[in-house]
Amino acid sequence: MQQQDKYRIALLSAFALGLHGFENLLPSPIPWLRLGLANIVTLITLLLYGMRAAVMVTLIRVMLASLIAGSFLGPAFILSLGGGIASTLIMGFVLHIAPRLFSTMGLSIIGALFHNLAQLFLAYFLFIQRIEAILFITPVIILFGTLTGTVNGAVSALLMKNLIKYDQKVQNVNEIK
Amino acid sequence: MKSRQHVVDSKQVNTKRAVPASYLQSTVYCLLLLLSTVYCLLYACSCSPNKERIFKKDRILMDTLVAITVVSDSKDNAEKAIDAAFSEIEYLEKLSNHYSPDSEITRINRNAGISEVKVSHDILKLLEKALYVSENTEGAFDVTIGPVIALYDFHKKIIPDNGMIKKNLLLVNYRDIIINRDRSTVLLKRKGMLIDLGGIAKGYAADKAAETLKKQGVRSGLVAVAGDIKAFGLKPDGKPWKIGIRNPESGDKEDDIMATVELEDMAISTSGDYERFFLSGGKRYHHLLNPKTGLSSQECRSVSIITKEGAYTDAFATGIFILGPGQGVKVLDKLGFEGMIIDSQGKSHLTQGLRKKIEFKRTVS
Amino acid sequence: MSLRELFHNTTLADRILFSLLIVLSLSGIAFIKEILPDNSTLHIYVDGHPAYILPLDKNRVVSVEGPQGKTVVEIKDHQVRIIESPCHNKLCIQTGWVRSGAVVCLPNRVVVTLGDPDKHRKTVDATTG
Repeated sequence: MQQQDKYRIALLSAFALGLHGFENLLPSPIPWLRLGLANIVTLITLLLYGMRAAVMVTLIRVMLASLIAGSFLGPAFILSLGGGIASTLIMGFVLHIAPRLFSTMGLSIIGALFHNLAQLFLAYFLFIQRIEAILFITPVIILFGTLTGTVNGAVSALLMKNLIKYDQKVQNVNEIK
Repeated sequence: MKSRQHVVDSKQVNTKRAVPASYLQSTVYCLLLLLSTVYCLLYACSCSPNKERIFKKDRILMDTLVAITVVSDSKDNAEKAIDAAFSEIEYLEKLSNHYSPDSEITRINRNAGISEVKVSHDILKLLEKALYVSENTEGAFDVTIGPVIALYDFHKKIIPDNGMIKKNLLLVNYRDIIINRDRSTVLLKRKGMLIDLGGIAKGYAADKAAETLKKQGVRSGLVAVAGDIKAFGLKPDGKPWKIGIRNPESGDKEDDIMATVELEDMAISTSGDYERFFLSGGKRYHHLLNPKTGLSSQECRSVSIITKEGAYTDAFATGIFILGPGQGVKVLDKLGFEGMIIDSQGKSHLTQGLRKKIEFKRTVS
Repeated sequence: MSLRELFHNTTLADRILFSLLIVLSLSGIAFIKEILPDNSTLHIYVDGHPAYILPLDKNRVVSVEGPQGKTVVEIKDHQVRIIESPCHNKLCIQTGWVRSGAVVCLPNRVVVTLGDPDKHRKTVDATTG
């Protein structure tokens, strides 16, 4: 089991990294406003394999992405890491204490929200000490975060539906065996 | 209903497939995570580049607007340093203002032809520098021009009588300033002589103010005593201070800049025929008088000088303005200063070094 | 697969959260637009102390008391000038309309500075000449 899960985590991390790379290719007028496609993988990992796995996938993705981009330990890395960890932890926490309150979509929105909040927080304390600038962009960031969170949530929900179907098929096969 | 099932299903799947771990393993993971986060945060904190900001204050001193800009990570430190610099300028003003009845310069002037006057270190240095400039501009810059300038009134637009000018010209000669370093005294040889430090005091004040800022621990700053500017250090973005040079043709528009230049630990001053002047009978009478004729020098429209000391940029800008473009460029080359002379036709003469560093906003004919 | 199906899969909490965030962020944006930091403000200092801080977008006339008397400042069409001043030489009045930088009345110790329009702040830190 452990071995299988290690493979799974590695594979999921690869997916996350791939999505992240793909997303970077897409042009965007505003450098900070990203789609966060890799979060889809994080959310699914969380739902299927639990908190620890999700955190590992996030960590691996963030580290590798920044190593490849050459911005390891730089500001982008700090923000990515902070946002990723915060969103993963909060999503896992919500899932733990109130598993039926939010659906996949809701979890994704929560994840996106805290991802952005953590990044704004870190940006303020570590890089831009001007609270006016931070407060100025917060509403816009939250708006975009909610929208992308919804879209990612929809994709995650769809994926989950299909994955569960596949999983049940496999289980059925196993049981038959 | 379906969605809840999904969530419940995945939770069930979750418990079956979760990465199994002993408490030890999970503790180790958590610790590693915590440590790496803390490490990254500390690293980021120590190399966060943008904690320094620019602070600027201005005040009226030396009969003009003085603006001091510093780079600092704390508003209090910045204010303390800037106020100290302003105090230094105030102190220099008290010494050098020849309109003030108890300044050291006034005492020297009053005792012209009578006796030497003991003066402070700053006045001694100022006068020594003034003499150095006089010697290197063949007397074009001369602080003893006081009696002739006093004949002009730029407010009432009074043109002095030629006879009066000739008479007062006899009192103009920088060689008649006798400085005794050992006794710290200054003597004006002949009665009626007047020292006017207007052409050098502001530049010197900018130098001293910048020194005060440095003594206060400021590593990067900009002191602008009207147009006499001293810059040191780099801005938070790593770039040098950028100074704009006013277009002498700009007329009414104060903010018309014709060129910009970046200063790294240098001073810049500009002398122009548009600073203090009046027009009368189609002629422009301005404050840059030729010490040989007592009349406004007509050779140039503006002169900008760049070198390490503000006192020199101020004084040489005046001197070279009066010398004219031909000789002016020779003096600049000889002394190794950078500079730009805009002559009366509007043509610009630049030193070799400046050509590479200056950026023109529009073409100057 | 369809949008309707997706919508039915969301819980009440989801929808509340979504709506709440959208509403909050939109109102935040509207609020920010209201109190946009002025691009150009006018500062009037008397004897080194701030006397007035005014936006440039409203035409008006203000007067300040200096040691020599009353200096009157006019704002019109995003420009500033001094109309009246008790000084001897009236250089400040002669300066005329100013769109950036400063206009000062030295004898009356009045300094009128304009928040530089972005263009200027980006180009120079000080002006000589």
